[in-house]
Amino acid sequence: MVKFLKPNKAVIVLQGRYAGRKAVIVKSFDEGTRDRPYGHCLVAGIKKYPSKVIRKDSAKKTAKKSRVKCFVKLVNHQHLMPTRYTLDVDLKDVVSVDALQTKDKKVAACKATKERFEERFKTGKNRWFFTKLRF
Amino acid sequence: MVASKKTKKTHESINNRLALVMKSGKYTLGYKTVLKSLRSSKGKLIIIANNCPPLRKSEIEYYAMLCKVGVHHYNGNNVDLGTACGKYFRVCCLSIIDPGDSDIIKSMPGDH
Repeated sequence: MVKFLKPNKAVIVLQGRYAGRKAVIVKSFDEGTRDRPYGHCLVAGIKKYPSKVIRKDSAKKTAKKSRVKCFVKLVNHQHLMPTRYTLDVDLKDVVSVDALQTKDKKVAACKATKERFEERFKTGKNRWFFTKLRF
Repeated sequence: MVASKKTKKTHESINNRLALVMKSGKYTLGYKTVLKSLRSSKGKLIIIANNCPPLRKSEIEYYAMLCKVGVHHYNGNNVDLGTACGKYFRVCCLSIIDPGDSDIIKSMPGDH
């Protein structure tokens, strides 16, 4: 009886091009909108996970390995698997529904989430979120 | 001997309570609608048949854990659960949204 599809919840995308990727819910539209008359969420996820960084890597190599590629998408609730993890990264100002209208706004939103994800990855927190799901 | 007698009596009482929910309350039958009711946090109790595929059972239990909703493992397979619901089809999992006059929600979730 507790709602769990809330912002900052880590989810796994189940269908589509990004199936198997981890994402974080930015905004949830439980009742749906007129264009999408079903419950859906705006998620920001990882398109390409960062590689494993080892101690003997040089600084240049570490920087290269820590790159994260992101996507922003509206996904039906049915195509998400919620997890017990959360990722408290503030993406509300960066990612919004009107960022998905045009290509360059979408690219700008993805770039900004990429920066936020990369700095979170570098701190070493939320390690589960940045590891690839093996299946 | 005493233990089996107790399970038989509680099993009948579950059936009685379920019949009362079917008559007076709101429920949904089936995996898709059970997940829907959990996502919208409308479900109050989930009942799963014992021959539910283990992956599906784990998935429903995980959703219920996130939702903090009780799950009851019915002592019977999907055919029995369908009969207990008064339906002529198999029911693998069901979600009780509004128990109506029944006290199934208050008395059942103690077991898992």
